[in-house]
Amino acid sequence: MKRIIGTTLACAGLLTATACGGSDSGGDADGPVTVTVMTWESPETNAAIKKALEGFKDDKITVQLIDTPSGGYGDKLASLTQAKKLPDLFWCGNDTEQQYTSQGLLVDWSKRIADGDGDFKADKFVASAMENWKTADGQMGGLPSLMNTYGVWYNVDAFKAAGIPEPKAGWTWDDMYAAAGKLANKGGAKYGLVADQLTSADAPFTMSLYSVSAGGAPFTDNVNHPTKAEADDKYTEGVTKLAEAIKSGAVAPPGYDASNVPALFSGGKVPMMFGGQWLAAGFQTDKPKIKYGFAPFPQVTTPTTLYDSVGICTPQYTANEDSTYKVLQYLNTKVWDAVLPAAPVAPPAYTPAQESYFSALTKSDQTTVVDTVKADLAAEKTVGVRFTTQWSSQVGDLTTAMYQPILSGKKPVSDLQAYVGKINDLIKSQG
Amino acid sequence: MNRDGPRGGRGLSRNAGSDVKAAYLFIAPAIIGFTVFVVYPLIRSFYLALTKYNGLTDPVFVGLANFRRLFTVDPAFWPSLRATGYLVVLYVPLSLAIGLALAMFCNQRFAGVRIVRTLAYLPVVLPAVATITLWKFILNPQVGLLNTILEKLHLPTSNWLQSPAMSMPSIVIVMLWGVGGTMIIFLAALQAVPTELYEAARVDGAGPSSVFFRITLPMISPIMLLQVILQTTAALQTFNQPKILTNGGPGFSTSVLMLSIYNNGFSNLGRVPQLGYASAQVWVLFILIIAVIALTAKFSSLWTYSDNTPD
Repeated sequence: MKRIIGTTLACAGLLTATACGGSDSGGDADGPVTVTVMTWESPETNAAIKKALEGFKDDKITVQLIDTPSGGYGDKLASLTQAKKLPDLFWCGNDTEQQYTSQGLLVDWSKRIADGDGDFKADKFVASAMENWKTADGQMGGLPSLMNTYGVWYNVDAFKAAGIPEPKAGWTWDDMYAAAGKLANKGGAKYGLVADQLTSADAPFTMSLYSVSAGGAPFTDNVNHPTKAEADDKYTEGVTKLAEAIKSGAVAPPGYDASNVPALFSGGKVPMMFGGQWLAAGFQTDKPKIKYGFAPFPQVTTPTTLYDSVGICTPQYTANEDSTYKVLQYLNTKVWDAVLPAAPVAPPAYTPAQESYFSALTKSDQTTVVDTVKADLAAEKTVGVRFTTQWSSQVGDLTTAMYQPILSGKKPVSDLQAYVGKINDLIKSQG
Repeated sequence: MNRDGPRGGRGLSRNAGSDVKAAYLFIAPAIIGFTVFVVYPLIRSFYLALTKYNGLTDPVFVGLANFRRLFTVDPAFWPSLRATGYLVVLYVPLSLAIGLALAMFCNQRFAGVRIVRTLAYLPVVLPAVATITLWKFILNPQVGLLNTILEKLHLPTSNWLQSPAMSMPSIVIVMLWGVGGTMIIFLAALQAVPTELYEAARVDGAGPSSVFFRITLPMISPIMLLQVILQTTAALQTFNQPKILTNGGPGFSTSVLMLSIYNNGFSNLGRVPQLGYASAQVWVLFILIIAVIALTAKFSSLWTYSDNTPD
């Protein structure tokens, strides 16, 4: 019996040891190494990435793109993280990079990219992206790969039919709400504008677009290392205007299901929506039945836009840092040139690789997208999309409980200060 | 005889001993499974509920801080408890009533009854995620099938899942789509009621309502008790429908406890999870379920019929 128990324990120990051995990459410093890569892209984009990775030539390194469905990436990442089975290179958001780095889970690339050889150096990346990928102590648990820019997608035909000028750089928030009012309840559309970013859990951050553009303060001083939140007069003015637009039925209220809004937009049932530049890639393939355009966010006095970028992270337990970094470099410098012409999802953060993105959009006649993305990347004033801190989910709950009811008209705008007070209490309690 | 007796006794004792060993051997898988998958997680989750733990670094003991945050700070907890209670109150009576009505209908003798039974049970065997996703399209206020039909009939439409007032009733409608499971258990109970009771009642001139309230209902009341407990427990643990249909919104209107636990414990988008805090929520749910079952069982003697009366 003792022998059976002993054997069982030994097997269990062996299984545990092999299961917790970190990344599946094999090899030591000198032997052959397999570098694994996991993305959140669609099967088509993954196929293009896989093909592009075949061009990576190194006798000692094999690159393996892990076949993974694009849905539920967050859940997948969470389970792989807890099992200590993260691939050597995995697609990650700025918030994941900040949180995981603070837990000591990721390899710090800051020194390598600062001292980089050839063209693969920090100064070749979009400056704001590099800045926002640094933790408070200057670490970089990954490198930014693609920039997300945002703006307003609009149905050209619906604007023409309503006799409204098309949105363009310099248009104002008042212009936008007025247009939304005229477009609501027309041609099968219920609301004139669906703007999930203005009504969802991230809404308070997006409203900084208004206050900063008007010369006021953003909702928070820093999304990565906040010391305070505030709602000044300009911010309050922005919230008041939005609440009025929602009340009038021009803008979709909080709770509107945003999951199929791009499909409704393509079908002509949503005439104007907030959204990211990545929708252009889908529109290029699916060919919406409407004529559409993409405009920068409205402004009060100064152009202001949202800042967001995604990137590629590496777990601490990657088998061979040098090999992983070589593949990371290849991904950032070469792969996008092969992938973006067929699927122009986003402009690369590595600026020399941006050309292929813009030429792909120009070729497919998406000129308004090119103009807006370029304007966004050059914008002087940017605001973060959400806190990247570990306690950010608690902010989301406060937003649902206190901010969204203000937008829905269930609570007065004066309650904004109580909401901000709660956020500041949370910031203080987290040190 | 005397010599045989003890010898026979020793023989019996040896057999009994090996029987006991065999018995332990046979129940060992169940005991090991129960210990590994129920007892250990229960103890571990209670310990984690007293810690700050993200699954990535070692847990840090914080005493009752998670429970304090739950009851006094977290703006999502009380609304999620309210949403859970609302769901139970709406769903359990409706599922029992509709399940029983369907079972009584399917207990009749008419041509095609087997097809009707199959159709009523069919949603139970269909993949839940697929049918719930389909319901999401049906309930879409702008292009959904339900509003389109209502509009054609000149009836009032609704925002369904996107309305704070209608979101939970909409979820309950989707849950009732699977009422065939309740029906099938009631149907088995109805078929076990002795037919002579009905014949005697008919001879005595009892009407349909008397037969239902004085014979059918008392005779199936033990099964009704089982159903109340099963449905209440299931309703308290509802997750799929709110996760797929509304993700807890609008506001907190459908943010049931299980969804809140999931969001905190396995937070999406690469955020660091709060497993310690989620474990505290799990214990609140566990205690809630135990309390509800205990109360139901305590008062069950008031309305359940049992023929196990002492002689």
